[in-house]
Amino acid sequence: MTESQTAAGASDNRERLADLLIDVFLLEPDEFRFDLKREEIETWDSLGVVAMAVGVQETFGYHFTPEEAMGIGGVADIIHLLTDKGIAF
Amino acid sequence: MVYAALARERRQQVRRQRLLPLFDDTHSSAGESPLTKLLYDDGDPVALARAWQEAPTFAWLSRRNGVTESWLRERLTALPTEHRQDRFILLTSGTSGEPKLVIGDRRRSERLARVLHELQDAEPVAETVVALPLTYTYAFVNQWLWSRQMGRRLVLTDGLRQPDTLTAALEAAEGAMICLVGAQLPLVRRLFAERAFPGVIRVHFAGGAFPQAELPYVRKLFPNASIFNNFGCAEAMPRLTLRRAEEGERAEDVGRPLPGVTLRCDDDGRVLFRSDYRCVGQISGAEFEPFDDERWVPTGDLGELDDRGHLLLRGRSNEVFKRYGEKISLAHLLRTVQAAWAGQAALVRAVDNSGEPGHVLLLSPQPERAQVRGLLRALRSQHPRAWWPLRVEGVDNLPLLDNGKVDVLAAARLDNTTVYWDQRI
Repeated sequence: MTESQTAAGASDNRERLADLLIDVFLLEPDEFRFDLKREEIETWDSLGVVAMAVGVQETFGYHFTPEEAMGIGGVADIIHLLTDKGIAF
Repeated sequence: MVYAALARERRQQVRRQRLLPLFDDTHSSAGESPLTKLLYDDGDPVALARAWQEAPTFAWLSRRNGVTESWLRERLTALPTEHRQDRFILLTSGTSGEPKLVIGDRRRSERLARVLHELQDAEPVAETVVALPLTYTYAFVNQWLWSRQMGRRLVLTDGLRQPDTLTAALEAAEGAMICLVGAQLPLVRRLFAERAFPGVIRVHFAGGAFPQAELPYVRKLFPNASIFNNFGCAEAMPRLTLRRAEEGERAEDVGRPLPGVTLRCDDDGRVLFRSDYRCVGQISGAEFEPFDDERWVPTGDLGELDDRGHLLLRGRSNEVFKRYGEKISLAHLLRTVQAAWAGQAALVRAVDNSGEPGHVLLLSPQPERAQVRGLLRALRSQHPRAWWPLRVEGVDNLPLLDNGKVDVLAAARLDNTTVYWDQRI
């Protein structure tokens, strides 16, 4: 994979993640930020964690362990975990 | 002028076709059973009038009633001898959705029809336009029996199933009363849009919470009408409360009890009643179950009485369940949906991937994506996630019962829906 392909994939993945989280947490598009924290979103509750984990698996093919999912404190943590699994962001 | 003449001619045609010789007993479509008559509503109320005049108890039934004749006959064998005269029997579904027979006393129901006439200020009403099946207790008492008792015209139509006759009857109406259920209003709006029917002077709603949000439209549609909400249940035969539209501002306010009716709500919020007009008993299994005067009968609703004595409905007792420890009221949720969505909506029970009870929101007609976003926004702002539907699905048409309400059991079996949003749980 070339550098430009990796960059394009990363850009697509950022867009897919944003769309997913907007859908899962019922966010307004202008409410979403990549530095958004869990405590800033009232809909990121325990059921929201489950919905987000299912959505990540559907979208990126990686299944968070329960510990990983519950330990996520914001969008940046999701990106960090997925990057560790080889998914470019 | 040509249009005026055509309209006049159409009105005359409607009158010729639909005015019914209610007290003529020259023919009957009744089938006979060894114990009681099974009388089917085949659009011939003369047979009904005849059965009402004759002594034997009769069962008044829709052809599409969901039970077999052998089921009916088997249950009717349980009817005690003392109820085999001067009673009438209607088929209904209890809070469980299981069919049952409720046995009414004709004289009590006649008294109720006269009480309703007084309370609803119905003296100026010359005719009643029937847009619901006459086997529906509400239409049966408020319209058929009322017209018989008070000597007013009964104008039959095919309701919203075939709107031509309803439209013609409303165009031709003069001093008319109509009974509707709130669930019919989305279809009424689609059918009549900006039209108005000045010949209708009384409009009644029943079937749950008052369609408060639609009141401006109803007033536009029927500009000369006084509007009432009726609340009751088949066991009450059927009315329990009455509210003039202007007496309240909330949909859940269904008014105060009629004279002769006492309401209370128990510790679980269940609405219970005693009534001078109630049924004398019911047959749900193989046994006849008598209702005596001391019995508090559950309506199947949850509610509370306010300090004015008005009943405030909080939902159906079978529409409240717990999901992840959160008490969910589908009636409450449906009000949120209906405030954000002008079409028809139904919440059908389902389970999520963990086996926890939940529900799916069905919308008709198919929504735009932006409309779904608006709905979801309303859900997010008013309810925690446990209340949200598992999915939002769209369908061209929701299946309806004869009374215009969504057939929730049939809706739950639909396999042609489009998924617009999935909670992924």
